Amino acid sequence: MILTALIAVLFLGGGAAWFSERRSPGTPRWVAIITLSFEALLAAGHYARTESTDLLPASLSPVWLADFSTPWIPRFGISFHLAADGLSLLLIALTIVLGFMAVSSSWTEIRNRQGFFFFNLLSCLAGTVGVFLAVDLFLFFFFWELMIIPMYFLISIWGHENRTYAAIKFVIFTQVSSLLMLLAIVVFVLISHNQSGLYTFDYFKLQNTRIDPDLAFWLMLGFFIAFTVKLPAVPFHTWLPDAHTQAPTGGSVILAGVLLKTGAYGLLRFVIPLFPEAALRFAPIAMTLGAVSVLYAAVMAYAQSDLKRLIAYTSVSHMGFILLGIFSWNLLALQGAVITMLAHGISASALFMMAGALQERLHTREMGNMGGLWSAFPRLSALALFFAMASLGLPGLGNFIGEFLVLLGAYKVSVLLTSATAVVLILAPVYSLIIIQKALQGPLKIQLALSDLNRRELTSFSLLVFITVWLGLFPQAVLNVSEPALKQLLQDFVAMEHR
Amino acid sequence: MNADQLAALAPIITITGAAIAVMLAIAIRRNFLLASGVAAGGILLSMLALGLAWPQSPAQVTLLMLLDDYALFTMALLLVTGLAVLGFCYDYFKDREGENEELILLLLTALLGATVLVASSHFAAFFLGLETLSISLFALAGYPINRARPLEAAIKYLILSGVSSAFLLMGMALIYAQSGELGFSGIGHFIANQPVMNTVVLGGVILIVAGLGFKLSLVPFHLWTPDVYEGAPAPITAFIATVSKGAVFILLLRFFISTDSYGYNPLLSVFSVIAMLSILGGNVLALLQTNVKRMLAYSSIAHMGYLLVAFIAGGSIAPGLVIEAVTFYIVAYFITTTGAFGVVSVLSTPQTEAGDIGFYRGLFWRRPLLAGTFTLMLLSLAGIPVTAGFIGKFYIFTSGADGRLWGLLAAVIAGSGLGLYYYIKIVVVMSMNEEATVRKAEESSGARISSATLAVLSLLLIWFGLFPDHLVSIIQSVSNTVR
Amino acid sequence: MNTEAILAANLLPLIIYFGAILFITAVMLGGAYFLGQRHRAKAADEPFESGVVSTGDVHIRFSVHFYLLAIFFVIFDMETVFLFAWSVALKESGWFGFIEALIFIGILIATLIYLGAIGALDWRTRRQRIDTSQNSR
Repeated sequence: MILTALIAVLFLGGGAAWFSERRSPGTPRWVAIITLSFEALLAAGHYARTESTDLLPASLSPVWLADFSTPWIPRFGISFHLAADGLSLLLIALTIVLGFMAVSSSWTEIRNRQGFFFFNLLSCLAGTVGVFLAVDLFLFFFFWELMIIPMYFLISIWGHENRTYAAIKFVIFTQVSSLLMLLAIVVFVLISHNQSGLYTFDYFKLQNTRIDPDLAFWLMLGFFIAFTVKLPAVPFHTWLPDAHTQAPTGGSVILAGVLLKTGAYGLLRFVIPLFPEAALRFAPIAMTLGAVSVLYAAVMAYAQSDLKRLIAYTSVSHMGFILLGIFSWNLLALQGAVITMLAHGISASALFMMAGALQERLHTREMGNMGGLWSAFPRLSALALFFAMASLGLPGLGNFIGEFLVLLGAYKVSVLLTSATAVVLILAPVYSLIIIQKALQGPLKIQLALSDLNRRELTSFSLLVFITVWLGLFPQAVLNVSEPALKQLLQDFVAMEHR
Repeated sequence: MNADQLAALAPIITITGAAIAVMLAIAIRRNFLLASGVAAGGILLSMLALGLAWPQSPAQVTLLMLLDDYALFTMALLLVTGLAVLGFCYDYFKDREGENEELILLLLTALLGATVLVASSHFAAFFLGLETLSISLFALAGYPINRARPLEAAIKYLILSGVSSAFLLMGMALIYAQSGELGFSGIGHFIANQPVMNTVVLGGVILIVAGLGFKLSLVPFHLWTPDVYEGAPAPITAFIATVSKGAVFILLLRFFISTDSYGYNPLLSVFSVIAMLSILGGNVLALLQTNVKRMLAYSSIAHMGYLLVAFIAGGSIAPGLVIEAVTFYIVAYFITTTGAFGVVSVLSTPQTEAGDIGFYRGLFWRRPLLAGTFTLMLLSLAGIPVTAGFIGKFYIFTSGADGRLWGLLAAVIAGSGLGLYYYIKIVVVMSMNEEATVRKAEESSGARISSATLAVLSLLLIWFGLFPDHLVSIIQSVSNTVR
Repeated sequence: MNTEAILAANLLPLIIYFGAILFITAVMLGGAYFLGQRHRAKAADEPFESGVVSTGDVHIRFSVHFYLLAIFFVIFDMETVFLFAWSVALKESGWFGFIEALIFIGILIATLIYLGAIGALDWRTRRQRIDTSQNSR
């Protein structure tokens, strides 16, 4: 029941935020903060109770921390089935943290229609939490679609100059690819129906379905495309730079920090466990795509002059690491992928907030127009330097742990790809330092009296700094949470290989 | 004919009675409110009469009509839609100068034709129903006779409808020439007893399909659609898009299942080509439109194509799932389309149709509820979850995948991608900031009935999108009766 | 006799009748054509050869009511055809058929009342009607 509450609180909070606009234009943001705090309490309470497994049906393996199921559309064996393991819990925690960040960065940026803005923000988060919890394929798809529409509104209403184009591109890319996934889900269920005579969309029941290898490959591809579009990986990444650049800061934070992670989560949760053989056959291609994404996006990032666009490309590059890690399919690489998901969520969001803060002050995202900002905004610049370092993978910070583990794990599978990917360790400093060099150093180009970060912004950034450092120095705490879940995934996989 | 059969016919008789009552009401006192009230009462009575007919089903009333559970269910659907359209018509026409009362009368006769159509089991009833429906529609489309657009729409619809009727009759004649039968079951027996495929019957069926293709506006028989949709008054467009098309599609399905025409494989290939063309053609042409009504017209062409995919799947899967899928999709499509044109109708006045997309600029901030409803309807047309349209699309996928129609499903996916673009485009325009230069559209005052209807439609849309199971089980139970 | 012969025997008077009609019309028209005089005079095409020279256009505009009334006539005439069909099978259809026919006639009467009430059977134009109603006041 608590799992349902996790989703419902955000939805209801969104509705409340919308209505509270009638009181005064500023109220919705407070409602959003209260909602997120409540959500955080719920999740924390849940986290505290992870030891007790009495909530679970006996049939589930103990890695699942909570389970809730009720019939929804019995005609097709669809149930409202939610379950949480360590992986989903970590990602939900990330979602909540970044939810706060998104609200904080929209505090003064969003001036008109705040009610509707926070409604969209919170319902997008609700959809994401639903994606992380759903273990019924139909329900998963339902939430998957549900988080797209609010994000579309966020971009198309509050975005920057070219928002319509970006928003439509975003929706069409994700929608068409998700229809492929829907088709794959339906075919998969029909096959299972032919075997057992029962319709079911349940993740656990469908795992036992035997499929013809060739067909399995096509089905796997349907899922894979949907998830790599969202991730995104080359060649499906073209929507991302536009969407990120045009979205308002809060939207960018959610998009980079949380929405991209749903793609990675889908690969981890669905593609490989449901189609192990096909995924194994496909692994070389997927890993190559991952490596190409890492390198290509790093080079592209270097070539950008728009700050947000640059950060968007670094996201693609980091997501390549995740793709590489997931398809290496050993514990080290998977752990690395999970850490990268969290660390990138934090660092990319922080950079987008930085870009947002700059844009709010300078009304430009062009790095050519910045320059010499260090003397104008010492605090902001120091923080920017910190997150640029985190993004380039400085040891001691979160991203380093993730990338290191991925490379370590992938090395066991493919030496060639790993060595190629490792080149990014040179490229990443280049694109990160170019931000510092172009925007922060040199002579000050802008002659305006501008204020440095205020207290609200400082609090937000320091929270992110803390998490990044913590991830970098004590990753074991996180690894412990995700380990049972990942081990379980691997076990199923090994069992499948031996069958 | 005995009392039981009379009870089974009660809904149709009631509608006929309502039409005559409206006519006499006009004769006694010409008052739009009175006529609308009588018509609404008649439709409600007819729905009650469905309860009277329910225990009798399935009842074969004379040779012409078969009133089984499915027919009664679809009649209920048509009547409810008719009532919603009546509500929109009332708000749209109540302030118009001139004599508007006959519109209500024609609406009832059109509804009568549609109800006869879904219950027909014989070519005679089929044709009578279709013509009653079509002839009423010409007059309805051209009702504001002093304006050029509606007149053009009416004439176009009249001529093309006449042509399609000719096709239809020729097809019936060919089938009759071979089989000597006019009843669906008799034709079914004849086809089943043929050792080899009878090419003349096949030709007849193809002509019938062409005739019905006009009414369903499938590519390549779609040319009238955008002009008629654009020209006709918005509530009437809603009626043409839902009741007329839905009834014809249900009849097509019934005809195919009861005559077992699925056995003709070449026919399925013809359908596949038509479906493919309709999906791609409809969506591509919709991309180019700047008029919302025309855009919805092309989108309806595409939707008929989607519906055909489920229909074609009947060639290789159990008819139960096909009827279920088609019926659910039609219900979702009815709610959505009525809602979408309802919004257009609320924004329109008899003098100016809210067709141009500029009308919708900033609607979100001017009239948030109306824009929200429209967005909901558009998302349902695009097949986004939480709406009934999504479940409908899910059904299309399920039946298509079960029938292994990969090519058509690829077309559905491509079409949905294109579709999303133009649906979203309208939403974008609605969410744009209103510019000072934009002329203030006249706020039509007090469209209370329409607003209430739209609210009910939105609730239904979300209800069936979130909890489709109840509706699905009803559809399942009624679709078992179709033979 | 077989059925075809019966048919032929029944049809023979009809065929002769049709033939006679055709013959008589042909004689009347053909006789006029061959026996009639031919005028080539200038005024031959005038309506009144020796009278007043006509003025104006022969294509006068009929009131639209004329067409409306003609259509009503056609419609009601066609409806009567159904009553003929009923009258042939009066005994076979029994009371049930009688009631059905009554309903049918009832609907026709209702239609007639409607047409009368909305003024469709009124020959005057709208303006004339307004004038008379004003005059009578």
